[in-house]
Amino acid sequence: MSQNSRQNLRYAIAKLIELLATLLLVSFFTFAAFSIIPGDAAQIMLGPDASPSQVEALRMQLGLDRPVVLQYLSWLGGALTGNLGNSVAYHVPVISLITQRLPVTLGMSVMALCLVIVISYPLAVISARRPGHIPDQIFSVLGHVLFAVPPFILSLLLIVFASKVLGIFTLGNYVGPEVNFGAYAASLFLPSVAIALPKIAMTFKFMRSAIIEQNASDYVRTSKSHGLSDLRILFRHVLPNSNVSSATIISLVLSDILGGSIIVEQVFNLPGLGRLLLAAISRRDFPLLSGMVFYLALITVILYFLADICAGLMDPRIRLK
Amino acid sequence: MNTRHTHLVKVHDLSIAFPGVRNPDPVPVVKNIEFGIRDGEILGLIGNSGSGKTMTAMAIAGLLPDSARIISGRISFAGENLLTMNRRRRRMMLGSDIGVIFQEPSTALDPLCKVGKSLDEILECHGNKDRADRRAKILAILSMVGFTDPEDIYIRYPHQLSGGQRQRVLIAGAALLSPKLLICDEPTSSLDTVTTVAILALLKDICHRLHMTVLFISHDLSAVRNFCDRVIVMRGGEIVDRDSAEEMLSHPHSGYTAELLTNARLDPRTLGLTRASVDYSSSPILTARHLAARYDNSAKTVLSDINLDIYPHEILGLIGSSGCGKTTLSKTVLGLIPHTGSITCTGGRIGAVFQDPVSCLNPAHSVMWHLKEPLIAARKRMSSRDMKIRIEKALTDVGLGSEYLTRLPSALSGGQRQRVAIAMCLILEPFVIMADEPFSSLDASSASEILKLLTRINREKGTSIVLITHNIHIVRQICPRVIVMDRGSVCEEGLTSEVLQNPQSEALCNLLNAERRLHGDNH
Amino acid sequence: MRSRAFYITGGILLGICVTAFIMSLVCLPYDPNATDASAKLVAPCASHIFGTDNFGRDVFSRVLSASKYTIFISFAGIAIALVLGVATGLPAGYFGGFTDKSIMLFNNSIMCFPGILLALVAVAVFGASMFNVIWALGLVFAPTFARVCRAGTMEIKERGYILHARVTGVKPVRIMAAHILPNLLPQLLPATVIGLANMTLFESGMSYLGLGVQPPDASFGKMLADSQSYLMTSPWLLVFPSLMLIFYILGLYFLSEGLRVSLSSGGAM
Repeated sequence: MSQNSRQNLRYAIAKLIELLATLLLVSFFTFAAFSIIPGDAAQIMLGPDASPSQVEALRMQLGLDRPVVLQYLSWLGGALTGNLGNSVAYHVPVISLITQRLPVTLGMSVMALCLVIVISYPLAVISARRPGHIPDQIFSVLGHVLFAVPPFILSLLLIVFASKVLGIFTLGNYVGPEVNFGAYAASLFLPSVAIALPKIAMTFKFMRSAIIEQNASDYVRTSKSHGLSDLRILFRHVLPNSNVSSATIISLVLSDILGGSIIVEQVFNLPGLGRLLLAAISRRDFPLLSGMVFYLALITVILYFLADICAGLMDPRIRLK
Repeated sequence: MNTRHTHLVKVHDLSIAFPGVRNPDPVPVVKNIEFGIRDGEILGLIGNSGSGKTMTAMAIAGLLPDSARIISGRISFAGENLLTMNRRRRRMMLGSDIGVIFQEPSTALDPLCKVGKSLDEILECHGNKDRADRRAKILAILSMVGFTDPEDIYIRYPHQLSGGQRQRVLIAGAALLSPKLLICDEPTSSLDTVTTVAILALLKDICHRLHMTVLFISHDLSAVRNFCDRVIVMRGGEIVDRDSAEEMLSHPHSGYTAELLTNARLDPRTLGLTRASVDYSSSPILTARHLAARYDNSAKTVLSDINLDIYPHEILGLIGSSGCGKTTLSKTVLGLIPHTGSITCTGGRIGAVFQDPVSCLNPAHSVMWHLKEPLIAARKRMSSRDMKIRIEKALTDVGLGSEYLTRLPSALSGGQRQRVAIAMCLILEPFVIMADEPFSSLDASSASEILKLLTRINREKGTSIVLITHNIHIVRQICPRVIVMDRGSVCEEGLTSEVLQNPQSEALCNLLNAERRLHGDNH
Repeated sequence: MRSRAFYITGGILLGICVTAFIMSLVCLPYDPNATDASAKLVAPCASHIFGTDNFGRDVFSRVLSASKYTIFISFAGIAIALVLGVATGLPAGYFGGFTDKSIMLFNNSIMCFPGILLALVAVAVFGASMFNVIWALGLVFAPTFARVCRAGTMEIKERGYILHARVTGVKPVRIMAAHILPNLLPQLLPATVIGLANMTLFESGMSYLGLGVQPPDASFGKMLADSQSYLMTSPWLLVFPSLMLIFYILGLYFLSEGLRVSLSSGGAM
């Protein structure tokens, strides 16, 4: 219907505008964070022992003598084209450092996300079918406990368990994907589990209550009165409805996974973005830092946008009036 | 027993119970009831909540909640005992032999499924494999339930339909496979009068055309009157009365039925109301010209070009079907909605009383706080002693004692809450009160109390009242002048006696018609 | 009924933590930062119930001291987050329109930074200290509270009592603070308790990375980071701090579950 498709388009465009506005704001925040530091940027980067001429040279090199707005625009332009200058500490383009470390972080995040979805969804469906019965109680209690364990403790426990008890894991065996994909995936498996477990607990809980809420809806009663079987009602009506809220949870979890990978990398000694971030912080490498923060935030913004579009696709009430 | 008719359904010694919460003994909700539904008849099952009427109907349908236990009895449907039937077969009966319609059409359809898809699924589940045939059948039934453009409805989502339209879709779904028995559980309780009459007429028509027997459950006796052939009254899980509808409603046997009848409708004639006399030649105290308003983002205007005069000491009735804009008009006059056009008043405040007694008071604060806030907001410089006197006077005016001051809203009944709401309004001594359906959510006795209170305020203080209501009898009784609205504009206006005797507009005719059909000619 | 089980379990766990907190203020068996070269890596025994670490510091005292910091940081951070969140979410929900859109744009932009990232950036720019951790985490959690407030406000503002307040001329600030806010408590309270738990998770992660409470002051994250090298030989360095941290978070979590269950079933409107 042309009226419906017009409204769909309007929704997509509104979301796109929101995306761009958010991106602009995000970029501004990132830029501002690294320009309003107390004291002078170049001075801080070089340390207190640098001579005034060295500081001045660095200031000019970094373009810190230009008006703020110009600095922001050129930074933004660079960020969007992939040119963020060189890292002060490593003296190589920021972008190359990031792409070098990307496979680790990306691999862990994707694996963790898959684990979260593959484990929590079926468990949530099973639990919600018979809330209060044995399977539900077991899963819920496990979930409660897992949720409370910080990821790095979990990582430590997993390391102990996997290497001493099961003897299948040794620390520091990371292999790049281009060398041997199987070994690459294997080396990222345990860290992904560490990141995923608390998120599985959280997602399970939300999905379960979303499904239970839908089970109590009036349209379930209507469907039953038409003679539809329980399974059919579950898969054709209840789950599609609960998926709308589940999808929102997944998008929130993605952001947490990215954050969680930073810590877990430390524990497992993996050369990912997290280690790079920490190194940049300790070395006050602001070009590198601003680049990393911006790109990570960019990924999150795009993921939220995709989640909104998905929600709109799944629920006609959001995009149509 | 009239043996000329055969019984489609016979319920024999049926008992249903729920497991006890505190003690292990099950709590019976239906106790050894026995009745039959004759083939082709419309049987009404009446009772208040807790009477067991819904459980009885759900037992017949096979939709009892898992926790319910059928302790004894048998239910025979066209000769077979439903309670001993194979589960799968019983489930397949739903839709094809027994259809069910529930209340609450706003949440009764899957919001993610287009109307056509929902209906299509029913046919597919019951064995119809031919897509074109299914579509044809669906379009036919949509047309039968009164949709003039079935193809358009077919591709719409539930949230794009009105409450009345959704209920028609649900009726279409229930009737799709031409079941022998149609169970209607309060199908019109959440609909307004005009739509209720239309839906009841539709049901009667469909049942006649498709030769369906109907079990109609309600707490509303007026809906039953013009619709059912026979009526059964239930109370506390037992049947207390049964008779033909005519007999029951004009000469009830049991005291309980008589009580239900009197409580069903607020009859203002019995209340002895006197209002202030109005001089229509004096100038109006509030004048609104060319009022127009619309919701923020939509192009749809909710109010267009309204002219309104309110005269001193009058009770002005404002009526119209749901969605006509009466509440919007009242909110606009109160200044809650941005509008174009002018509102001039001769000075003084406008007070407001809203419909829902549940949300009219802030649950976090006591009655005293509620009465103090308006005084603080109006920045009246009063000593705390004066304030206290003022507050207590307002409470006395509405008939509540000062012991209510420390109570929270959760400790008050609906009628008491509405009184406090009126006191909040009175404490600032308004010259006009906009009362938006102040008694429609209350039971009959509380409603009559509030009605008496409002009339007293009008009489003793001379406050004008704009009374928005759907109850035309009340308007007839206490409003010398009435305004009828339809789709955002005023369609009729004038002295009540003249307007209601000679309705000119279609909207008013519909309203009067629906009133008459549901509640009978009362004057 | 079910909420009682939650309250009891949560209460016990939290009780342990609060006791530790009080003890850390009143009666520490040893100075948590005092090193003792002669008693390095001693297993739990009578004089050191939780053993000692690689500097000879008594683990029990350090655990008590760390719990003090943990509790303080989480409460202070949540207080900041609440104030910011309520101050932005209420007007956004109440006024709607442009105010709402701009506040929400701001809010959502902050939420686009993964929480840890924001906190790390703050620490990178302003230096690692307890104070910076507190306000950084407060900033990270504020948007969630803003969302809760906004959603609740949007629902409440259409109710009869708010309309009546507007008609009688109550000022918007007063409406938001005295009329709406008290009715938001059923939603805010569980969110606050869960926020405390999540904030503790974040904070422990940050101090694990060395960016929280600075040594020699004890913090759970740092203690656990240091324990990593002695994982196999001195497991008590991992076990006891982990347990205390998990008790706190779990206790808060159960408390919030209990609140949620009892507020949703027995609560008012």
